Amino acid sequence: MTRRTLLRVLAAAVSERLAAAAPPSRRLPRRTVLITLGGIRRQESWSQPGLRYIPHLYGDLLPRSLFYPYTVNEGVTSHFNTISSILTGVWQHVDDWGGEKPASPTLFQRLQSQTRTGAEQTWVVTSNKQLTANISPGVNVILSKQLMVEAVERIITGQSARSRLEREQILQEMNAIFETDAERIGWGLPSESVFRDPEVKRTFVSALATFIHGTDAPATGDELTFLIAREVLQRLAPAMLMVNFSDMEVAHSGSYSLHLGGVSRADRLCHRMWEFIQAAPALRDNTTLVIMNEFGRDPDGSSTNGFFNHRTDTECCRLAWTMALGPAAAKPAVVERVIRQIDVTPSIAAWMGFDGGPTPGSRLPEFHG
Amino acid sequence: MADGLRIPADLIRRLPATFGPALNDQLRQWELLFPAERRQLQAQLEWLSRLPRDEFDRLFAPLLDIESRMALPHWDSSAAGLSVRDVGVLARSPLYPQWRAEVERVFGKIDAAAEQPGEIQHLPRLLVCVLPPGIFLKETPLWPDLSAEGSWLSLDRPFGQILPPFAAAIAQRTVPAALEQDERTWVFECGARFTSLTGATVLSWADLDALRREFLRRLNAVHRDLGSVDQTSEELRRVDIRRSAGPAVAANPRALEFVRSLLLSGNGALVFNNSFVQWGASEAFRRAQPQVLLACFGIRPRLKPFSSVVLFEDQSRSNPAPDEDDPAGSLVDGLMLSKYVYLSVQRVVRRPERTLTIMAASGLNRVLILCPAKPALLRSPATPEDLTAFALRWLAS
Repeated sequence: MTRRTLLRVLAAAVSERLAAAAPPSRRLPRRTVLITLGGIRRQESWSQPGLRYIPHLYGDLLPRSLFYPYTVNEGVTSHFNTISSILTGVWQHVDDWGGEKPASPTLFQRLQSQTRTGAEQTWVVTSNKQLTANISPGVNVILSKQLMVEAVERIITGQSARSRLEREQILQEMNAIFETDAERIGWGLPSESVFRDPEVKRTFVSALATFIHGTDAPATGDELTFLIAREVLQRLAPAMLMVNFSDMEVAHSGSYSLHLGGVSRADRLCHRMWEFIQAAPALRDNTTLVIMNEFGRDPDGSSTNGFFNHRTDTECCRLAWTMALGPAAAKPAVVERVIRQIDVTPSIAAWMGFDGGPTPGSRLPEFHG
Repeated sequence: MADGLRIPADLIRRLPATFGPALNDQLRQWELLFPAERRQLQAQLEWLSRLPRDEFDRLFAPLLDIESRMALPHWDSSAAGLSVRDVGVLARSPLYPQWRAEVERVFGKIDAAAEQPGEIQHLPRLLVCVLPPGIFLKETPLWPDLSAEGSWLSLDRPFGQILPPFAAAIAQRTVPAALEQDERTWVFECGARFTSLTGATVLSWADLDALRREFLRRLNAVHRDLGSVDQTSEELRRVDIRRSAGPAVAANPRALEFVRSLLLSGNGALVFNNSFVQWGASEAFRRAQPQVLLACFGIRPRLKPFSSVVLFEDQSRSNPAPDEDDPAGSLVDGLMLSKYVYLSVQRVVRRPERTLTIMAASGLNRVLILCPAKPALLRSPATPEDLTAFALRWLAS
């Protein structure tokens, strides 16, 4: 045993003792999984020609959901600002690159402060690199795709003893980064002891192993994000989990076929998440799944180069949708009224039993158990 | 500063704060602007200089009002260009949509009033978009929405066989005397088929390989903060790229700087061959406004597992997965991106009805002709000579 491993073992032992001595965090009777998707336009989703790219959302989930097809993004149509607006219920105008915290408390923070739940009850697992630990201080923020990016970069740039992008080598590299460098790559860890918790550790090791050895050969950022999020849900059962899928953002580089592939992958992963929740007795009856796209994208022929970007003040870019499944959507319906993304925030809070704060959003009356 | 361009000393100071840096940036690069850009800028500034003070103030008053409420950082009126950080501040302002709409209104008004030389503005233009050989065309409808606007013309052989002599004849046509070399014929291609085409400005994805790799290498070293992005962009704006751009591009300083700004302007121009062709063609039409442009799309390699998460990296590096083409994905990309070239040309040329567009696929013996002026079509099936003569007649009309 080297000095380094000895110190690590000692630290783990101390943290386990401390964790055992801490007052138990309250378990809430209801939980929410919020999935945000990157920019998807109507013409590639909820339109006659677009339905082929979202067969699961349309065929499997829509019939059992509370669906708001006209959900407007009235804020800044960038990733960090949109997601922080959804989480706070207030349109945010902060640094697009995650250099600043949202200017208002998030749902996670309100949940923690009002219900005496600990940080271990609040998790963010995200593909999008514009999301940083600033998205909600005090929450576990897992930049899953960034973990893979780091592993791949280290291997191809010769910074690692591993030299080939083979599955087993990537697994070893990701495990090494997870063990030693999680904070350096930007993960948000409210407590240093979080990753020393054996159950948390098992969660990640299991997710990474499933990703590498999965039968359908997963290899994208969103597939890794899904597997980590699923393990977090299964093993840690947090009260609130936010997941972000962003493979469709390859659109910024102009490959339409890869963008469509990202849309279809997100469709499949949302469905798998729903199936997983339904198959888990501990989750099935108390977990609401909310799926929202952040915005559309720019219209074909716009000066901003159409589907590549999401900057225009157009319906094509601002019109999004919201789908709720599970106990909060006890009466499935398509609600054709126009709502705003920030209306979802107080609705989730109210359903979970805490106050969403003095926000401009209005609680959605259909959203209840 | 631009020779022969007289700007009243206080004009830039009187403009809205967001205009100064952009205008200074253009003036600083005056020698590297294309003739069409110079004409446009000159006409705009001359018109603004002549505008009575009260009308000038009225034109910009709404924009100045919006800017005063945007809490923008103080920008020196002599600054040239905005940094990524500055643009971020602007774009996340709650008033950004109003600002953007007002900028479009102001420029619409200026451009409508500022006179430019008529002959070049009214020239007939030709756009040819070509999908590559090696893609399976039978099961995919080609440009279904554009087909409703145009007419399909049968050819006596696949377009791929017509393209080389067609391109040569078009590039060597007699052009109006007023057109400078950079305004005649441009070609964007994924391969290097037209590198030696006489009489054209040819930008080839394949030929720019060394330059692209150099840019990617530097961009991959950028840290996750805006200061690092700005610093690297500034370095890449200054670095000497003549050697890595190749002799043909290096010999034309305007084309060389066009390539530099194209590769630095995102939109996948550094990452995917077809994005390079689409974005390059759109930018060339916006800036150089050539009379003829050929956009030749290609086959994109299939992205490899894991390497695909680092798009800016060489996909082959350390990856044991074999190199493969993605013809099906390339067809989907090419159809959309060729449509985007057409739409951007329709948007930026002053007289879209004077633009003839030919949408073609190398392996297909018919082409889609789009032209609001509805020129009389050819007998069917057309020979290569028929099609070439048709295009030349159009350009001389």
